Amino acid sequence: MTYDPMSPSQHALARGVFGGLALFAIWELAARLFDLPSYILPAVSEIIARFWTARAVLGEAAAYTLGEALAGYLLGGAIGVALALAVTLVPQLRKVIVPAATAVNSVPVVAFSPLILLWFGMGVSSKIVMVAVAVSFTMFVSALAGFDRVDERSVNLMRSFGASRAAILWKLRLPTALPLILSGMRLSTVRSLIVAIVTEMLGAYGGLGWVIYQAVIVIDFVQVWAAIFVASIASLGFFAVVSFLERRLVFWR
Amino acid sequence: MTVQANMAGAQPMARRFGAVLPLLKGLVAIAAVLLAVELLVIAFGIRPYVLPRPSAVIEAVLRTPGAYRDAMIRTGLETLMGFGAGALFGIWIGVAFSRLRFLRETIFPIFIVSQTIPVIAFGALVVMWFGNTILAKAVIVFYLTFFPVTVNCLLGMRAVDQKQVQLLRSFGASDREIMRKLRFPTALPHIFVALRIASALGLAGAVVGEWFGDTTGLGVLLLQGMYAENMVAIWASILCSAVLGIAFFGAIGLAEKRIVFWGGESS
Repeated sequence: MTYDPMSPSQHALARGVFGGLALFAIWELAARLFDLPSYILPAVSEIIARFWTARAVLGEAAAYTLGEALAGYLLGGAIGVALALAVTLVPQLRKVIVPAATAVNSVPVVAFSPLILLWFGMGVSSKIVMVAVAVSFTMFVSALAGFDRVDERSVNLMRSFGASRAAILWKLRLPTALPLILSGMRLSTVRSLIVAIVTEMLGAYGGLGWVIYQAVIVIDFVQVWAAIFVASIASLGFFAVVSFLERRLVFWR
Repeated sequence: MTVQANMAGAQPMARRFGAVLPLLKGLVAIAAVLLAVELLVIAFGIRPYVLPRPSAVIEAVLRTPGAYRDAMIRTGLETLMGFGAGALFGIWIGVAFSRLRFLRETIFPIFIVSQTIPVIAFGALVVMWFGNTILAKAVIVFYLTFFPVTVNCLLGMRAVDQKQVQLLRSFGASDREIMRKLRFPTALPHIFVALRIASALGLAGAVVGEWFGDTTGLGVLLLQGMYAENMVAIWASILCSAVLGIAFFGAIGLAEKRIVFWGGESS
């Protein structure tokens, strides 16, 4: 057995990085060797070059889309958690809110985008609303599952010691539900960006979805790929930040 | 299947009725909500632009039932094709990953990372590659399905209790038998969780795929409604999407109950 200076997790990371680089290498080789036209598969180097030359446009578009996604994400998260809290504190509401939320969720969320675009216009607000709709359901389900985990015996114990409703909420219900709320927030990051981009494709004044749509119309596929790269990086970054916050906030896990 | 059903003919009526009752209750509840919305719209004089009357929406569907039926069949078919292929391929890849360590460690991280990629952005490219065919949308749905299925299949395979594997092995079970009798059944509940997620994702993918160019389908109806600013038509398309979404979700739930009869994670 040879000496291995790397820990298992480092080892896995190295393999993963190797896999990623290998993928890019195969991609580059395939595109160059077979001389694939850019509408089939542009070379990675070509995409990265475009990424650099169009950095101003792409950066601005990414900021635009991230802003929309973040606003809708926070709004949707707040709505979802608030609804779950309402259902927990006023059990009679459960019979109304849960079926209503399930019914809304059975529609693929993108089907709402024409409606929301007509209601809220082509600007930023329609995307924020779309993201909020998409995120709030996921958050509602996660938060509700979290609040349902609270042991009623603990609630009764705190109450018997004279704790107020607010104290029970703050010291017991919220900490118990937090891990599930945050994992819901983590899962919603990717969804929020996708929904923002898809809605932008239907109609917008800017953003990555708009850039992709414009590039498709003028048949500039390197631009489409560059925009997808940027979207992926933005999505990964967003995901990483939320995962980091999650680990910080749920330190006891 | 039919033989089994006949043999189970002694099944008490109550159980069959028990399955119908929640459905009936749900239908009554939906009817009540629609009636309430109808009355609210009339009472407050809400403009159709904000919210059309449910009766007007249903009337719109009934006036041209062919258009909506064809759209639902088309979009449903796209989703079904991509979903079926994606599920099978995902399970296959998941099994392969669970067996081949090198493949798993090199490629699986890429899979995880690619989960964060806004996949639907590829819609435009896929439509370019395959043209305005049903295949293009099926490919999008396939892509959206096979990632979650692969990931959950692998996670499920790895959730197997090693002591059970050793026990089976000590009784002389081959790798193939362990896979069929232990690993795969253990992974099934995980796979179904992924299938449920993928069914919603896939339908959305099919609808968005149609935006990039097609002549029939729910996505097309939605776009046409938007360009004509016809709120009733948009709501009618949303209604049809909901019916399709519920049908898919329900079918998977039913299959899960049948196949994972011992009760999985969802129960």
